[in-house]
Amino acid sequence: MEAVVRRKAAAYVCRSCTRQFQRQLRRNYSNSAPRPDIYDVVCVGGGPAGLSLLTALRANPVTSHLRVALVEAQDLSKVKSWKLPPNKYSNRCSSLTPTSALFLDQIGAWEHLDQTRVQPYHEMQVWDGVTDARIEFDWAPGSAPVEGTTIAYMNENLNLTSGLLKRLEQLGGVSVFEGAKVENITFGEETEDLDLSQWPVVHISGGKQLTARLLVGADGANSPVRAFAGIDAKGWDYDRHGVVATLEMEGEGWGGEHTKIAYQRFLPTGPVAMLPMPGNIATLVWSTTPENASLLKRLPPKDFVAMVNAAFRLSTVDLAFMHTQGADQDDEYSWRLQHTPFNSRAVPQTVVGVQEGTVASFPLKMRHADTYIGERVALVGDAAHTIHPLAGQGLNQGQGDVQSLAKTIEFAVTHGQDIGSIMSLESYVSERYTANHVLLGVVDKLHKLYSAESGPLVPLRSLGLNAVNALGPLKSFFMKQAAGSGTKIF
Amino acid sequence: MNPLRHDFIQTCRSSSPYSSFTVLTEDSSDILPPTSDAAHNTTHNTFNVQKLRYLDIGCGGGIFAESAARLPTTSSVLAIDPSPGVLAIARSHAKKDPSLSPKLTYLSSTIESLPTLKPEAVQKKFDVVSCFEVIEHVDHPALFLDHVAQFVKPGGWLVMSTIARTWTSWFTTNFMAEDVLGIVPKGTHDWHKYINEYELRGYFEETEEKRRFWGRPRAMGVVYVPGLGWKEVPGSEKVGNYFLGVQRLAGEDA
Repeated sequence: MEAVVRRKAAAYVCRSCTRQFQRQLRRNYSNSAPRPDIYDVVCVGGGPAGLSLLTALRANPVTSHLRVALVEAQDLSKVKSWKLPPNKYSNRCSSLTPTSALFLDQIGAWEHLDQTRVQPYHEMQVWDGVTDARIEFDWAPGSAPVEGTTIAYMNENLNLTSGLLKRLEQLGGVSVFEGAKVENITFGEETEDLDLSQWPVVHISGGKQLTARLLVGADGANSPVRAFAGIDAKGWDYDRHGVVATLEMEGEGWGGEHTKIAYQRFLPTGPVAMLPMPGNIATLVWSTTPENASLLKRLPPKDFVAMVNAAFRLSTVDLAFMHTQGADQDDEYSWRLQHTPFNSRAVPQTVVGVQEGTVASFPLKMRHADTYIGERVALVGDAAHTIHPLAGQGLNQGQGDVQSLAKTIEFAVTHGQDIGSIMSLESYVSERYTANHVLLGVVDKLHKLYSAESGPLVPLRSLGLNAVNALGPLKSFFMKQAAGSGTKIF
Repeated sequence: MNPLRHDFIQTCRSSSPYSSFTVLTEDSSDILPPTSDAAHNTTHNTFNVQKLRYLDIGCGGGIFAESAARLPTTSSVLAIDPSPGVLAIARSHAKKDPSLSPKLTYLSSTIESLPTLKPEAVQKKFDVVSCFEVIEHVDHPALFLDHVAQFVKPGGWLVMSTIARTWTSWFTTNFMAEDVLGIVPKGTHDWHKYINEYELRGYFEETEEKRRFWGRPRAMGVVYVPGLGWKEVPGSEKVGNYFLGVQRLAGEDA
């Protein structure tokens, strides 16, 4: 896949050559050229960001007259009709902040999510795996934001995309090209009375060509739209994999069904997080070395479950040892647990099972595009930035982008600006870039800070965590920032 | 472009219950009365029903004319400028946006010669007649405005922007812009031709006849803030750049 994208990216590099070639073509075939099929917005990528953007544009009466198209490689009807039995959950879940949820509600999509599969959580327990320094994010009496005590909502990604597709279907008016690959992106032609030489033309499989006033890249980390626009993305790989799984717990959690708790323990190999889903289900995100990840994926269910329970309870030394064992982690865990003192109410309830086929992993990286806009191009979501999942902010950043871009487009429409011109798009990038950059940086530094097993950083970070935990107002400030409900500081 | 131009027009039009004229226009059958100002709640009316005709006098490179033509509320824009050079630039720029050609017409003309070149423009008139940054370059502003009046539809708006004749405006537009920074050619502005807000307002209010013909002028002072763009600053119409909008009331041409 990557190779294909790179090869395509290479084709976009020399734009002057492409133009030269087009000019020659034009000279020869200008009379036979079909009339360009012009859209106001062509969105490449039908993930959460792309679908939210189109929904926001369609739901707003100011922008609903725009002619919009969606190009998506997947078969969207399968996503729309996505359904799992009530006790089975997908392993790809994301945390949605109340801000994201409010936006989704404003564009009329939230009600289309299957609410029985959305789980708000109200507390967070975060601790240092080396020193046990701990911060408990529970709302002190009177400190909860007015809109409620929900820190965030856990939700399956497919529940979100499926809900957005249902809302889009209700709104109508989107030309959907699904199962369609972007084969090339070029520039339009110049004729006597029309100059489209700066308008992107998306060539999709089957020969169809879409000319875009504004081409939106919601096409993920390896964004072909970003490559077309010649925008570089900088960053690094963490040499870590995120292992995900759907877990079955012994109960509904220590807080019962109404006070759900998220847990995260910083291990030297990376943070391990367990996030509550409805009932006795939880979802796991365990960032660890590629070697550990491949071991975890190989283990039989009972040993995998033992490793997860160990990850929240045993010392990092014990845990490291268990990663070197080829098998029988289950026995090892039972034995070591007897010799490890811990407060069972301070860690998640015991995992009793893992749903079949849900253990998977993906490489973790940090990327940030140099800018989000070009002439007639805007990038949103993962095409613009990729973040470490430890703060659960990736999807929310994408929703923030979309909300801002939709607002920018609305302003341009009401002021007669060309929605594709850089001038119109500038407010989008100025509103989002720094905010995203700060968040990417903070999360990146957190990852690095907690990767240290010894040295001066270890007592310092524990001191910091304990201090924040002791200072009520500061803690409530952090919680409101995490929930996206506090004063915007970035 | 200064996006406040559209905000100001919107403010003017929504300030008057007659703005989109149910009674006084000849083709009022397809027009509904406007609702309040914000784009959101007026959307249905604004974007689907009322379609406005614009005349842009002294359009230059077409910055405002293009933006007016792009508005979904616009049915047509006639943009005139006496200089063929700037019109060539305007036309070639308009080629880059296919949505413009059905709505936007450029014509090389002064306001004085427009009735001869386009007699139907006097007959049909316009919902919005704009002349942005024009009147300070005109030798006889009152005479110029007399000509302009006949193109404004009863109930329609004449919208202008210009600069007040103050020390501040001399310093920014003559001394800084022309002499020091050189961002506009020397001699672009003749400070003595600048018109203060009370003077321009005075034209529309000076006689009983004028007061019957025109409604009460509305002004909005604006300031360019580097890094932030144009901002409305109440009271600044007495100092520098300002908008003035006035609605035509009378049905008969003066």
